[in-house]
Amino acid sequence: MASFQLLVNGQNHSVDVDPDTPLLWVLRDELKLHGTKYGCGIAQCGACTVHIDGLPIRACCFPIGKLAGKNVTTIEGLSESGDHPVQLAWQEIDVPQCGYCQTGQIMTAAALLDRNPSPSEEDINRAMKGNLCRCGTYPRIKKAINEAAKTRIS
Amino acid sequence: MKTNRRNFIKVSALAGGGFMMAISTPGAAALSRMLNNGQAELNNFLTIDADGNIVFKLTKHEMGQGSGTGLPMILADELGADWNRVSLVRSPFDPKFTSREMGTTGGSSTIAKMWDVLRTAGATAREMLKETAAARWQVDASTLQVANSEVINPATNERLSFGDLAEDAAKMTVPENPPLKKVDEFVYIGKPVKNLITKDVTRGKANYGINVEVEGMVYASIEKCPVYKGTLRDYDDTEARKVNGVIDIIAVPQMTGAVEDHFVQAGVAVIAKNTWSAIKARKRLRINWDYDTAGASLTELELRLTQKAEETEEAIFERGDYEGLKSDEGNEVFRATYDNPYQAHALMEPINATAHYTDDRCEVWVGTQSGERVSNEIIKLTDLPLDKIKVNVCNSGGSFGRRFYADSTMEAVFLSKELSLPVKVTWTREDEIEHDYFHPYQKSIFEAVISPQKEVLGWHSSITRTENYHSGSQQWEIPYYFPNVRTYFEFEPSIVHTGAWRSVAEHSSSLGRESFIDELAGKLDKDPLQFRLDLMSHEIEKIGTDSFADRVYSYETMLNSRFKEVLETVKSKGWYAKSSVPGKGVGLAVENFGATVCAHVAEVTIDNSTYNGFKVDRVRSVVHCGTVVNPHFGIGQIEGSIIFALSALQYGGVEIDGGRIKRSNFHDNRLVRMDETPEMEVHFVPSEEPPSGLGEPGTPPLAPAILNALYDATGVRVRKIPVLKKDLNVFQTTV
Repeated sequence: MASFQLLVNGQNHSVDVDPDTPLLWVLRDELKLHGTKYGCGIAQCGACTVHIDGLPIRACCFPIGKLAGKNVTTIEGLSESGDHPVQLAWQEIDVPQCGYCQTGQIMTAAALLDRNPSPSEEDINRAMKGNLCRCGTYPRIKKAINEAAKTRIS
Repeated sequence: MKTNRRNFIKVSALAGGGFMMAISTPGAAALSRMLNNGQAELNNFLTIDADGNIVFKLTKHEMGQGSGTGLPMILADELGADWNRVSLVRSPFDPKFTSREMGTTGGSSTIAKMWDVLRTAGATAREMLKETAAARWQVDASTLQVANSEVINPATNERLSFGDLAEDAAKMTVPENPPLKKVDEFVYIGKPVKNLITKDVTRGKANYGINVEVEGMVYASIEKCPVYKGTLRDYDDTEARKVNGVIDIIAVPQMTGAVEDHFVQAGVAVIAKNTWSAIKARKRLRINWDYDTAGASLTELELRLTQKAEETEEAIFERGDYEGLKSDEGNEVFRATYDNPYQAHALMEPINATAHYTDDRCEVWVGTQSGERVSNEIIKLTDLPLDKIKVNVCNSGGSFGRRFYADSTMEAVFLSKELSLPVKVTWTREDEIEHDYFHPYQKSIFEAVISPQKEVLGWHSSITRTENYHSGSQQWEIPYYFPNVRTYFEFEPSIVHTGAWRSVAEHSSSLGRESFIDELAGKLDKDPLQFRLDLMSHEIEKIGTDSFADRVYSYETMLNSRFKEVLETVKSKGWYAKSSVPGKGVGLAVENFGATVCAHVAEVTIDNSTYNGFKVDRVRSVVHCGTVVNPHFGIGQIEGSIIFALSALQYGGVEIDGGRIKRSNFHDNRLVRMDETPEMEVHFVPSEEPPSGLGEPGTPPLAPAILNALYDATGVRVRKIPVLKKDLNVFQTTV
């Protein structure tokens, strides 16, 4: 057990956990940030996607011991009042069914649009195929990403 | 308290001023052994407070199918409510409701079962509010209008809000037969009203069972016996106990539920200060199990299923003389066997439950399709009376039948009782796959007798399955007419745990039947769409004279009409025609799930660069489900069912070796991803009939539609799923 400092959504936190503890479980069990979801634990489903220094990362496979000096953003910190263009597009298209995977989808999509403001269909498929949705909302996710790209540009 | 004569609806004053309605569906079973008069106690179903806030009590499980929005939409529409004033409170399991309102959420029945209840409840409240306004204005209530949470007098343009009226309305007489809206008066029903969970979801605020936090809670992860019904011999936890954060390690016995199909595998539970410590320590346990793996291979199971099909004697349904036809000279007998294997649920939110047991009460938080089953298991485990048990029903991250079973609750309650602490049990993804209640294995043998004039004279089916529900062999389960029919169904015990999986028996049976029809059409050189319609042009025959026969007759008549309407729509849209392009294929299949009928037309392209050797380009669907309450959700359920069934077709089945499930996570239990999603188009047959369900009906016809499309593309008939590259036989030179 060791003490770790981490910066999440602009706030400093200190947690006492083993260094191999994945960021996912620190967020969920220690910081009680439940928007980041457990889905597989092996970076196969994307439900736990967060931003580390702006890049989409699977929190289930990122040990807390390697986080020093890095800046973590979770769904709760993507925008101050839930009005990031991707969040608004998700609301506009009304994407979720069960909603469980959607926070990971949104984090992956937001990171995609940060580096590629007007992605092609192929770009979207490539960026999003790591995120599973068992309800099958893929067509609406794709629509929402296009919608968000439009609003970001205008 | 005011009630109507049949005690269906009770209205009373809300504390603090307002209107509270309790409901009890006439004829529906009481849920509690203690409340056995068949009528509701004063439950809280709908309240309108003095500020006009309308709170609807959600008595059904929300698992992604949209019940938490669709149900209040129906109520709000009849009530004349302003949708923005409607909010939702999830009811814990409450036996003061009847089985209709509070019973199982499943079988795509929620909207269908609640349609009348909600409309009557909404209309009753609306009429009482109207009567209250009429009394104040000294006018006849029938001259008044209701919209947007206001009663309006069109003559004077005076308005009174629901909030102003609520308290007095609670004192009015409850009307016996409040008028229901006409279809053209609907404001919300039929419109794409947004999902009430969406905003919370996008902010990471939506709650699921896995998010539950209880003061003083500890975290459990359970290593379970890898073989179905094996037992724990002994274990060494020395290394596991060295892991930081571990609080305790205890054996979990094999548990049989109060309800037969609730079964908990023996295991060893690690209790820790957080989930990760529990998972980490689990991997350091050294456990010896006792189990018997005799006969527990798929090869042996398939053999037993075939043998059983051959040995079966008693027909489920018989018409004419099928056996006699077979011996007639000149007739051809055509036979084909289809396999629909085990499938995992692979829910995005892994199975979990949180329990807090104290000496005199037990509280549980769990996403469940049946709070009643969960409650019964707690009673069995704790001996507590029902009124000392509270089951908080959480929203679920998918369920598809899996959360019908109460196994995780049994684990959490057992551990909380042992430890005298609140315990959250979280299954890992590996647990969720390896210890699933799999979609059962089904083998279907179909046979037809064809005359020298190329007419199908006889139809025979022999189904064997590892679950003993719906046979797929009854008269009303065969939409096609043949003069001679003989069907069989046999149950063979499973080698792994099985249960309900989206569309249950229909998914198993549709594959064989809809493929075989396509094969027959091909043999007879007929168009598969027209061939189906021709086989549905018969008069429905009534077999028997009792009330059951009446019900079967009217059900079959309704289905026959919907099947034909759906297929005629496919035809008139020109969606189905065999492919004329080499390497491409088009396939059709149609199936009902309950009263909903769904046809899929699938288009495929053979493509050696893909994992399966083909890709599905497009699926177009025609669905008849009566009224579509929310078309955005309706389309979503059909698209979701297509993708769900496509995962089973491309990557499904479950490998089993020595009784062990040989899949564990999403790398080997693959699911369809965004880049493999076909283009989809869904058309609903316009209808003013009551809604008949949409969560499952899109699933069954998908696999046969694609198998038929693959045949069209390749001339190779695949009679099982998943379809692998080697099954298609067209890449022999390149693979």
